[in-house]
Amino acid sequence: MSLYQLQKLIYHVNRDPSQRERYRQDPASFVKGYELTEEEKNAAVNVDVRKLYTLGVHSLLLRPFSLLHKVSNEDYAQALAGLE
Amino acid sequence: MTAWTEAASKEQSEKFLGCYRKLGEMLVASRPDVLVAITVEHWTNFFLNHMPAFCIGRADHYDGPVEEWLRIPKARVPGDSQLSAEMLAACLDGGFDPTFSDELLFDHATMLPLHFLNPNMAIPVIPVIINTLTTPMPSPKRCFAFGQFLGRKLAGSEKSVAVVATGGLSHWPGEAKHGKINIPFDRKFLDTLISGDHAKLSAYSHEEINVEAGSGGHEIRTWIALAGALPEWRAELLAYEPSVPWATVALWLSFIVHKTKERSQLVDHRSVANMMRYKQRQKAAAIRPRPFVVSSDF
Repeated sequence: MSLYQLQKLIYHVNRDPSQRERYRQDPASFVKGYELTEEEKNAAVNVDVRKLYTLGVHSLLLRPFSLLHKVSNEDYAQALAGLE
Repeated sequence: MTAWTEAASKEQSEKFLGCYRKLGEMLVASRPDVLVAITVEHWTNFFLNHMPAFCIGRADHYDGPVEEWLRIPKARVPGDSQLSAEMLAACLDGGFDPTFSDELLFDHATMLPLHFLNPNMAIPVIPVIINTLTTPMPSPKRCFAFGQFLGRKLAGSEKSVAVVATGGLSHWPGEAKHGKINIPFDRKFLDTLISGDHAKLSAYSHEEINVEAGSGGHEIRTWIALAGALPEWRAELLAYEPSVPWATVALWLSFIVHKTKERSQLVDHRSVANMMRYKQRQKAAAIRPRPFVVSSDF
């Protein structure tokens, strides 16, 4: 569990256009730059909203991150269904 | 509201834009030299490696919005590094210790109101960022006192300063509880704000806000700071309109017009619109004769 590193990755992708581009070109390679578990790496590469949420990623990191991947409001809500 | 304009009803969108236009006209007509924006940010500049309670921007300019999905044009906003430096010096000399930054990006919280209220970004802006994002946060009492201190300092400035506060009322952005609005909480807070009950504003607790208004509701600290910045607070609510036109869409509008003696005028405006409970708000306060306050969120 390395929530700090996972959130840092998302923070970088969200706010820095150059890192965002690196992530988009090769997410599997990009995530290697952070100290993450395999579970966390997979969640970040696959934009697994529900997994990232349950791992504890802050909602205002996660929602913008998902928006970069064109996750609609409906799909986002669906991904979190039942977690309230 | 810009990201999902079509998600709200046309009537609400037009109402929102109309209010913004009106506030923008009032702000421009007040001819401020500088606009101090009491604002928040969403992991745009600060991360968990360094999270200031208060930060005052000291840059010559600020770029934004950082969000490529916000659908408002990117812009470079001029700053006023000299007044920033004066504010910082006064703070450190007067019992407040904000951090400072010579490079800040603006996100929706700041850019959205500026987009409507500061056409062509003609008025220089000084951002005052409050951490409302992650615990521990400065207490409402401290936010009020900080606003009060800044208001007194700015009132003594040679420049005519307008104050804009931006932040949301109750909302749970990006959470599983997204879409929830606590209208009774919002109403009560607005009543307290409008009545100018400074003691009650300062008495809000972190826990109360967290439970009743959600993670996004912590942004009311900017409103509380704004109330502190205004020596005379007589405000009028122009609109507060929560609605859920679609299952996941919400749009709030609230506008507060503050009128002080003579020609002084304070406008406090807030609006929120989004599909995920993101809000936009603005508050503006007049500190000098004829200044203002506006606030906004996404």
